[in-house]
Amino acid sequence: MGLRAYVVRRCLQLVVTFWAFFTLLFVLFRMMPGDPTSMFIMDGMTPEQREQRIAELGLNEPLHVQYIEYVRQLLTGDFGQSFIYNDPVTSIIVVRFMNTIVLMATALIFAYIIGITFGALMGWWRDSRFERGGIIVTLVARSSPEFWVGIVLLSVFVFWLGWFPSSGMRTTGGELGGGFVARYGSLDFLHHLFLPALTGAIAYLATPTLLMRSTMLDVLNADFIEIKKAEGLPERTVLYKHAARNSILPIVTVAAIATGTAMGGSVVIETVFNWPGMGREMVSAVNNNDYPLAMAAFFLMGSVVIIMNFVADLAYVYLDPRVEYE
Amino acid sequence: MTLLDIDGLKTYYGADDGWVRATDDASLSIERGETVGLVGESGSGKTTLAKSIIRLLPDNAEIVDGSIEFDGTEITELSDKELRRQIRWSEISMIPQNAMNGFDPVYTVGDQIVEVIRHHEDDTSKAEARERGRELFDDLGIDPDRIDDYPHQFSGGMAQRAMIALALALSPSLVLADEPTTALDVVIQDRILETIKEMQEELNSAMIMITHDMSVVSETCDRIAVVYGGRIVELADAETIITNPRHPYTLGLRNAFPDISDDDQELISIPGSPPELVDPGEGCRFAPRCPFAEEECWEVTPQPESYGDGHQVECHRADEIEHLQAEAGKKETWREQDLGDREPVGTADEQAAEAEVRLDD
Repeated sequence: MGLRAYVVRRCLQLVVTFWAFFTLLFVLFRMMPGDPTSMFIMDGMTPEQREQRIAELGLNEPLHVQYIEYVRQLLTGDFGQSFIYNDPVTSIIVVRFMNTIVLMATALIFAYIIGITFGALMGWWRDSRFERGGIIVTLVARSSPEFWVGIVLLSVFVFWLGWFPSSGMRTTGGELGGGFVARYGSLDFLHHLFLPALTGAIAYLATPTLLMRSTMLDVLNADFIEIKKAEGLPERTVLYKHAARNSILPIVTVAAIATGTAMGGSVVIETVFNWPGMGREMVSAVNNNDYPLAMAAFFLMGSVVIIMNFVADLAYVYLDPRVEYE
Repeated sequence: MTLLDIDGLKTYYGADDGWVRATDDASLSIERGETVGLVGESGSGKTTLAKSIIRLLPDNAEIVDGSIEFDGTEITELSDKELRRQIRWSEISMIPQNAMNGFDPVYTVGDQIVEVIRHHEDDTSKAEARERGRELFDDLGIDPDRIDDYPHQFSGGMAQRAMIALALALSPSLVLADEPTTALDVVIQDRILETIKEMQEELNSAMIMITHDMSVVSETCDRIAVVYGGRIVELADAETIITNPRHPYTLGLRNAFPDISDDDQELISIPGSPPELVDPGEGCRFAPRCPFAEEECWEVTPQPESYGDGHQVECHRADEIEHLQAEAGKKETWREQDLGDREPVGTADEQAAEAEVRLDD
C-alpha cells in the first residue's frame, strides 16, 4: 500500500476517533450527578424556576434530541451558551485555549529539545560523571511536583531577585494586542511567559531525557554504529546523524502522549502563576456544572491530543522508513 | 610485498578480576592481495585480533603491547583523527557478520555509500559518488536502481552484496570480513564467497576472513591462522592446514567438520570449552582439552616453531606429527573421561582454574 492510501486511511480513522471522542464526552456529561441548577438551590430557587431554567437550557428534551443538537452545534463550531456566564462559549474559551497552547507548547518544545540533546549525550558518554550527574538531576526534576517547582521559582526569581513578574500574562494596563503576533510576540508577554514555561519544561524534561538515554544505549550496541565508526566518520556524525537519529523514533510517540499530560498539568501551573488559560476555566466549569463550557474545554484539549497523535503517526512514516503502511 | 605486519600484539579487556587477554602475543603478516583466514571457536579472540587492526575496540579494551605496521604506518601510534582520515575505510574496511544490521536502517543504502565516499574524498560530487555506487552494485550483481532502497527492503544475500559494495567503495587495500556468510544459506553463501573473491582480485585487496567454518576458509583463503585462547596456535597455507596440520587443536577442529566426499566420516567434537582468559598463567592454553597434553604442556607456554614453508606451530609435541595425526582421527582419543583421567598432571592452581571453567558452563 502506498503512502497516499495510508494517509487517506489515517484521516478516516481520525474522523472516527473524533466521533467516538465527542460522543463519549456527551455521555459522560449527561451521566454526571447534579445539573446546572443544583448550585442555585441553596439560594432559594423555587422548583418552578428550576423547571423553567432546565427547559431554557434544553435539558428536558430526550437524550437523542440533545445529542443531535450537540453534534449539529459542534459541526458548525458553535459550543453554545455558557450556563453560568450567559455568553457564547466560543468567546470565553478560544482566547484562553490559545493562552494555554502557547504556554504548554513553549514548555514542551524546550523540554524535548533539552531532553533529547542531554539524553543523547548521556547515552554516548555512558558511565561518565556527566551521565551519573545527569540522571540524578533528571530524577530530581521528575520527582518535584509542579506546584512546588513553581513556588520555588517564584520565590527565587520574583520575590528575591525580582527579575520576573509574579503572575498573569501581561503587565496591568498593558496594551491588549489584537493579532496573534501582537498578543504573543511582545517582550512583555515573553517576560511573563518565562517562569511558567520553565516550570513546565522542568516537569516534562525527564521523560525525553531518560527515554533518549536508554534508546541510545540500545542503538549504540547495533552493528551499524560500529560500521559507521569503522568508516572513519567523525564521532559527531556518528552521534547525531546515526545514533541519535535512530534513537529519536520512540520519542515521537511519547511526545504525542506527553501533550495530553501537559494539557492536564497546565491546571496546576496556570493556578500557581495566575495564567489566564483554559485549565483553570475547565476546573471551574466542571464545579459549576457548566456543561457547554466544560465540554468545549474537554473537547479542545482532547482534540489536541488526537491531532498530536495523528501528526506523530505521519511523522513516523517520514522518520522511519521501516514503517509498513498496513 | 608485506602490507600488514602484526608483531607480538596484545589486546586486553579490563574486567573486574583482571585483564582478559583476548589477543595475547599474536604475530601475523599479510601480503598485498592475499587472503588469510582466522579460524577458531567463538571467544577465541579472532575478532578482537582483527578489530585491533583498525583499533575498533570497546572502551574497556586496550592494545597493551606489540605493533601493527600497515603499509609503513604504525597504527598503534596514530591519533584518532589520523586513524579516521588515513586508515579507516580508505585503506582498511570491513564486512560485518550480519549485513542487514550493518546499515543504518533510516537511510537508503545509496545515501550511506555516498556518505562514506564523500567523507573521504573531498572533491567527489554527490552525483559522482552515487554513480560509483551504482557501478559497484552492477559489479556485484545487484540492480543499480536498488541503490535507493532502504536496507530492510533487501533480502539477506542482497544486503550482504550491498555491504560488500560499501566495503569496496574506496578500493581499500585490506578488507576485514567477520564471518561474512554465516547468516546466509549455503547456496547463497557460495555465490557471495565467489563474488568477494572476484572483486578482491580485481582490486588486488588483501583480506582477513574471520570464521569458525573450516569449509569457508579452505575455499577462499591462501593461508589460515588457527586461533585458540587469544593466540595463533598454527599458521600455514590453506592446503597444509587442511591436509597436514600439526597442532592438536587444528586436528580436532578438522574432525568436527563434515567432509562431503567421505561418506563414512564420523564427526568428532572437541570436549570441554574455550579457556578462561583472565590471567591464564603459564602453560599451553589448549592443554586442559588436549588428549596429548604432557607435563611440559601444563608448565611451559609453547612458542611458535617453524616447520618449513611458513608453517608455524605452537605445540611442544608438534614433532610427533605422525603419531598425533593417527591418534587424532580416532573417536576414543577425544573422549571426555580420558581428559579427566590425566588431570593430576597440572599444578593445584591450574586444577582450581580448570574446575572454575567447568562450573562456568
